[in-house]
Amino acid sequence: MGNLRSLAGLTATVAVALVGWSCEQNRNALAPKIDAPLFHFHNFECTPVKMTGGGRIDYPPEQTTKNPPASHEYETFGAHVIASGQTDANGTCLADKGELEWVDHRPEMEINGHPLNLHATSVTFAEVATDASCTDGAVHWGGILRVENTHQDGYDFEVWDCDNGEPGNNDGFAISVPALGYAVQCWAVTPAEPTCYLTGGNRQFHPTH
Amino acid sequence: MKNLNLMLILLSAWPAVVAGQSARATSYAVSVRTATVNQTTAAATLPDDGTLAQTQTSDVTIASLVSAQDAFATATGGSDGDQSDAVSSATLGTVNILNGLITADGVVAISTSTSGNSNTDGCSLGNLVVNGVQVSDPGPNTRLDLPGVGYVVLNEQIATSGGVTVNMIHVVLQQQVLGGSVKTGDIIVGSASSSVN
Repeated sequence: MGNLRSLAGLTATVAVALVGWSCEQNRNALAPKIDAPLFHFHNFECTPVKMTGGGRIDYPPEQTTKNPPASHEYETFGAHVIASGQTDANGTCLADKGELEWVDHRPEMEINGHPLNLHATSVTFAEVATDASCTDGAVHWGGILRVENTHQDGYDFEVWDCDNGEPGNNDGFAISVPALGYAVQCWAVTPAEPTCYLTGGNRQFHPTH
Repeated sequence: MKNLNLMLILLSAWPAVVAGQSARATSYAVSVRTATVNQTTAAATLPDDGTLAQTQTSDVTIASLVSAQDAFATATGGSDGDQSDAVSSATLGTVNILNGLITADGVVAISTSTSGNSNTDGCSLGNLVVNGVQVSDPGPNTRLDLPGVGYVVLNEQIATSGGVTVNMIHVVLQQQVLGGSVKTGDIIVGSASSSVN
């Protein structure tokens, strides 16, 4: 428990620092690079969708190039979600199934000397962002995860997932676990407009499944 | 006319070929193949229904040949006609091969394939030292001799049907015989493969 508290403290610091850093970058970020994956996530549709793939993000995630390998300042992940476009009584767009495996290799995120490892125990919602500039599609989805290092369970998470053409180096992926104060995201403006890039791998949007 | 018929047949078959495209992805952290050792640790293979597979091992020790920490292997993607995709990755923390002959403290292998595209973007080797010499950011298929042992191929990239395999460290063990060399085994650390076809 003490480790998780430490983790929460660390991540909160990093997340706050990141938000601050990102805001500082915002003025430039508003003039995005060509093909930059800007996805607004203001408007959603509950339609059938599938998103698959995985890859690598280098920290801070606004950059499109890898950090020096010895820095270990990167995350790797695999993730997919499938939804049929069904809503529950509260209007939540339900996910049929999904998985998330996330490893944060940053030394400052280690727990007991090992990389932070997050594992989704359930994926509960998925909605398609209709105002995204991702060329192929964007999905906002999430559920509940476990911190594998400590086996502590029950943390809500959400991701912002962008397929911006092929190959995947213009695709984007961002994650937040509020109860841990953990986030790898890059808000360029408020409200959310993540512009994270993959430095390896690919996200694949499937409009039907 | 025969050519036209052939073309029509091919054109009519083409969508079926595309629709039948399938994704494959595999990865593993460490593999050793010698006369006495045949072991692969932390391996993941994309399930037939697509989705995702991951395995992890905190500590890897294979005989006195390889030790490593924090090994993760992930395979993900989906078969969906011309939207099929496959991504695999293998990552490791500290790595020690052949009692310090090769060391590294961060290995990332990533292989990505979509219809008509494959790459190994995202691969890296951190603090790599080979036979006492620091090696930074080796290019694809960098070969270095290991006197008395064989040789190592760093960032080994192998084109496959519809995809690519990357082995970040591939040691080929050799034995000198009658003035020549005979391969006696392989040690591979950080392997990722993907394909769509």
